[in-house]
Amino acid sequence: MVDLLSLNEVLLESAKEIFETMVFMDLSESTDEGQDVEGCALLGTITFKGALEGCLAFCCSTPCAQAIAINMLGLDTTEEIAEEDTCDAIGEIANMVMGSVKKRLAESAGNLEVSIPSVVSGHKLRNNLGEGARKASVRINIEDEYVTELSLLYHENSN
Amino acid sequence: MAKTLLIVDDSATMRKIVMRTVKMSGLDFDKTEEAGNGVEALEKLVAGPVDIMLCDVNMPEMSGTELVKEVRKLPDCESTKIIMVSTESSQELIDGVMADGANGFITKPFTPEKFQEKLSPFMN
Repeated sequence: MVDLLSLNEVLLESAKEIFETMVFMDLSESTDEGQDVEGCALLGTITFKGALEGCLAFCCSTPCAQAIAINMLGLDTTEEIAEEDTCDAIGEIANMVMGSVKKRLAESAGNLEVSIPSVVSGHKLRNNLGEGARKASVRINIEDEYVTELSLLYHENSN
Repeated sequence: MAKTLLIVDDSATMRKIVMRTVKMSGLDFDKTEEAGNGVEALEKLVAGPVDIMLCDVNMPEMSGTELVKEVRKLPDCESTKIIMVSTESSQELIDGVMADGANGFITKPFTPEKFQEKLSPFMN
């Protein structure tokens, strides 16, 4: 029903749409085949159900999350940003990217019901959907400074 | 004429972003209030007149669609214009919430121009 290559493209185009319109930061696909996002990171996730069931996740380092939050809120780069605002911003990124993904998949996957986003912080964070889950994933360069990961873990629902 | 805006969203960051985008759109409100959930929004609406309410759809406890129905039961809020702001964009949802009493729908990601287009008809 949905192939992984086109899902990678959907993820990238959705992220571009959100970052260009709401975050005002440039992004491009990263060719870096590195490991996990290094150091302390934030993971914003949002689940969905319907013909596809699963979870979209956006993972970035804490400095990257702070830069995203500062840009979204239009703050001065020298201003300190509260941890709550940073977490909230990453949750909103997951929420808005999921909204764009949902719109782009409407023809092939129908209407997906989406949850409220949640954010966790820590080291070597990963999302997991158990056995048999498929994963689409793109590594994204933000402002040529930060490498982030956007992924979609899902099962196709035959019911 | 003095205008009051109420922004309802469970995300404090999104409320700030909405407020910033409204300012960038050039629309001038004398008073702007915020509510973090539907119950808080109803309290603000009962406490004083609100001209325009910008309301998220996907919120815990009371969703934006439920809030619209509750607002429309309040006799003092008949003239309050309700504009939904959401990443959700299915026609079914839009039609449903408009039938329940919303006056407009803005999908995320949004721009100042979009706020100008959707809110300015209610500014006079």
